[in-house]
Amino acid sequence: MIFSILEHILTHISFSVVSIVLTIYFLTLLVNLDEIIGFFDSSDKGIVITFFGITGLLFTRWIYSGHFPLSNLYESLIFLSWAFSIIHMVSYFNKKNKNHLNAITAPSAIFIQGFATSGLLNNMPQSAILVPALQSQWLMMHVSMMILGYGALLCGSLLSIALLVITFRKVGSTFWKNNRKTKFLLNELFSFDGLYYINERNSVLLQQNSNFSFSRNYYRYQLIEQLDYWSFRIISLGFIFLTVGILSGAVWANETWGSYWNWDPKETWAFITWTIFAIYLHIKTNRNFRGINSAIVASIGFLLIWICYFGVNLLGIGLHSYGSFTSN
Amino acid sequence: MIVTLNPKILHFSKLNPQSPLSRPSPRFYRTRTISLTTNCKLQNPQDGNKTGSITKTISLSDSAPPVTEESSVKGGGNGGGGGGGGFLKRLPRKVLSVLSNLPLAITEMSTIAALMALGTVIEQGETPEFYFEKYPEDSPVLGFFTWRWIFALGLDHMYSAPIFLGMLALLAASLMACTYTTQIPLVKVARRWSFMKSDDAIKKQDFAESLPRASIQDLGVILMGDGYEVFMKGPSLYAFKGLAGRFAPIGVHIAMILIMVGGTLSATGSFRGSVTVPQGLNFVMGDVLGPIGFLSVPTDSFNTEVHVNRFTMDYYDSGEVSQFHSDLSLRDLNGKEVMRKTISVNDPLRYGGVTIYQTDWSFSALQVSKDGEGPFNLAMAPIKINGDKKLYGTFLPVGDTNAPNVKGISMLARDLQSIVVYDLEGKFAGIRRPNSKLPIEIDGMKIVIEDAIGSTGLELKTDPGVPVVYAGFGALMLTTCISYLSHSQIWALQNGTTLMVGGRTNRAKNEFPDDMNRLLDQVPELIKTSVD
Repeated sequence: MIFSILEHILTHISFSVVSIVLTIYFLTLLVNLDEIIGFFDSSDKGIVITFFGITGLLFTRWIYSGHFPLSNLYESLIFLSWAFSIIHMVSYFNKKNKNHLNAITAPSAIFIQGFATSGLLNNMPQSAILVPALQSQWLMMHVSMMILGYGALLCGSLLSIALLVITFRKVGSTFWKNNRKTKFLLNELFSFDGLYYINERNSVLLQQNSNFSFSRNYYRYQLIEQLDYWSFRIISLGFIFLTVGILSGAVWANETWGSYWNWDPKETWAFITWTIFAIYLHIKTNRNFRGINSAIVASIGFLLIWICYFGVNLLGIGLHSYGSFTSN
Repeated sequence: MIVTLNPKILHFSKLNPQSPLSRPSPRFYRTRTISLTTNCKLQNPQDGNKTGSITKTISLSDSAPPVTEESSVKGGGNGGGGGGGGFLKRLPRKVLSVLSNLPLAITEMSTIAALMALGTVIEQGETPEFYFEKYPEDSPVLGFFTWRWIFALGLDHMYSAPIFLGMLALLAASLMACTYTTQIPLVKVARRWSFMKSDDAIKKQDFAESLPRASIQDLGVILMGDGYEVFMKGPSLYAFKGLAGRFAPIGVHIAMILIMVGGTLSATGSFRGSVTVPQGLNFVMGDVLGPIGFLSVPTDSFNTEVHVNRFTMDYYDSGEVSQFHSDLSLRDLNGKEVMRKTISVNDPLRYGGVTIYQTDWSFSALQVSKDGEGPFNLAMAPIKINGDKKLYGTFLPVGDTNAPNVKGISMLARDLQSIVVYDLEGKFAGIRRPNSKLPIEIDGMKIVIEDAIGSTGLELKTDPGVPVVYAGFGALMLTTCISYLSHSQIWALQNGTTLMVGGRTNRAKNEFPDDMNRLLDQVPELIKTSVD
């Protein structure tokens, strides 16, 4: 009982703090830049609070359920938003290299958190029992690595998408109109994740506004270079996690199902994702293809991660159907 | 010769008499430097030791330049290749260059990804009738896709279809070709580009800066302090860090090939089989295992007999199954027990190359006694399988068993834990747990459910590919991680008192200039005058 109350409190703390952070982000858009430097800093602190909130939440679940809290979709979503807040904190404490990651991680975290705690997953939040196949030490390694990998890859590919948006956006005086149009277009294209883009755009706007009087094209070029570089670095990192996750999953499958590769839908989609990001990294090594091409591949990868992470669970097919929508 | 130093970094001072910087310096420095000479002398006794060791290490690395060797080997190889002509010799090279083409490799990877995605969309391993119905000719999916496509391309068994395996083989060929033609020479080049002899070459690097009044030895020491391997020869310096990051992609490719080889071994040399054995019975491994590929060769351990001593299930408080356990004894031809282990899901038994997995369970029989008679063994039959929910039932006939419509007591069970008993009319009579010895009374008969006997569902396999695949997995994890490291290279050339420094890195490009600036800030400013 005390655990469920504690869990409840922690869920609400992390969700409300992250909402405040997001509000601050929106405010920074409307208010003049000079007044919001302190604001920006406090939003970063908010994410730190969120991080501890989610960490506490996960630990509470761990203690009272008696197993690593990654046995169903709800828990994995919470873990994903935890991964986002980690990435955010890393970029926050690593102030030397200024990057635009926090513009992506904070909205991502709130989006995931909101989705996980919303009514969509009604029966999910109850900690489920662990089916025999999941009772293994590999659960911790495999699932945490996979979700960290998804988190990092999502961040990286979102940066690439931002790059694409900035590259293809017309530079003109109809600044807001254009922007709204892009937003709309993007919302249509990936309505599922519309929230990300808006916020990503916001931060980009901020950056751009501040240097509006200077050579805009130069700044744009700089920004594109930065986005390109950081998406590459973060995708490389996520790729490592994904590789370790898939391989540890294969070893686990060899212990449980009797074969290290079963062509299970989830496995297959994880492998497809892996292949796409391998293509991305290869394009990056070649000087002739850089820039837009790799960003396009990364945005395809973004869709694939969602198919892999959600789509397969939505259908509830295959061996990975634990805690899917249909099983409840 | 007098050295002026920033006091903060005085310990780097080194007084090399053979320094190439023996250019007479402007006269106006002279007055300023005298006071500093004393400063230097004061510090000298403490620094003597340090300086000595530092110069020693520099000369050590100086004395071992593997670079020239490498380049000469490379040159020789080129010459030999150029000499041999002929079509037969040129053909493999052509094939290699086509295969190692990056766009081709990317196309292959995309095709494989697309085929795999298609494999999850199209139902796999169904009967032909299923596909006739799902993909009919008169209303094709997307306007063209019918069952003819599926059978022509083997899309109903995608992951063993020739088109898919062919793509994988092509990708493996590309991997090898790329490693051979692109990556290995790249490493040679990376090691060959050692010293740069001109300022212009250094200026072309991603990062380049010229430091007035700086000494190359100081730079070398500072770079070594930051983990660089430093080589010096005369006025030029070459330093690198994270060479493993340059090699690792080769390792990634080799690991991928290793996994593919292991996968092929698994596909051609495995045995597999599954069996459901009631508790207390036994089977011979060889009877269960069936060959998968043409390379499958049975071993001696196939004669081993497996005896199921006991099969149990653990339950949560809510009644759901938490774990299965099978206590297995392995006996050789002479009936001697060679191994005994209780296996469960996630904890298989391994013996002589054969692995036994706990995968399934079933209800074998119910031991029932009636009015103190018995116990009788009643075989349980699976009634309905609805997803994972299993249901088993049995029937205890009552009265004349030869009568046209036999009446009896029905018993149903979802697991080994509780048995639901129905009376002769089919009405609910009660629930009993096996082992409870609590009788249930139906029409004056006392029925006791003595025991529930489960059977364990085991999966057996031998897989010669696993060690190779695991080696590949390990190598892949390691090399992928190492690939994240940046290979940074720094060149420097002393040109009078000016030091030209250039560098580049292959991954952390954004951080590199900052790191370099941090390092170069530490290089002491140097003012040289001839003392005379």
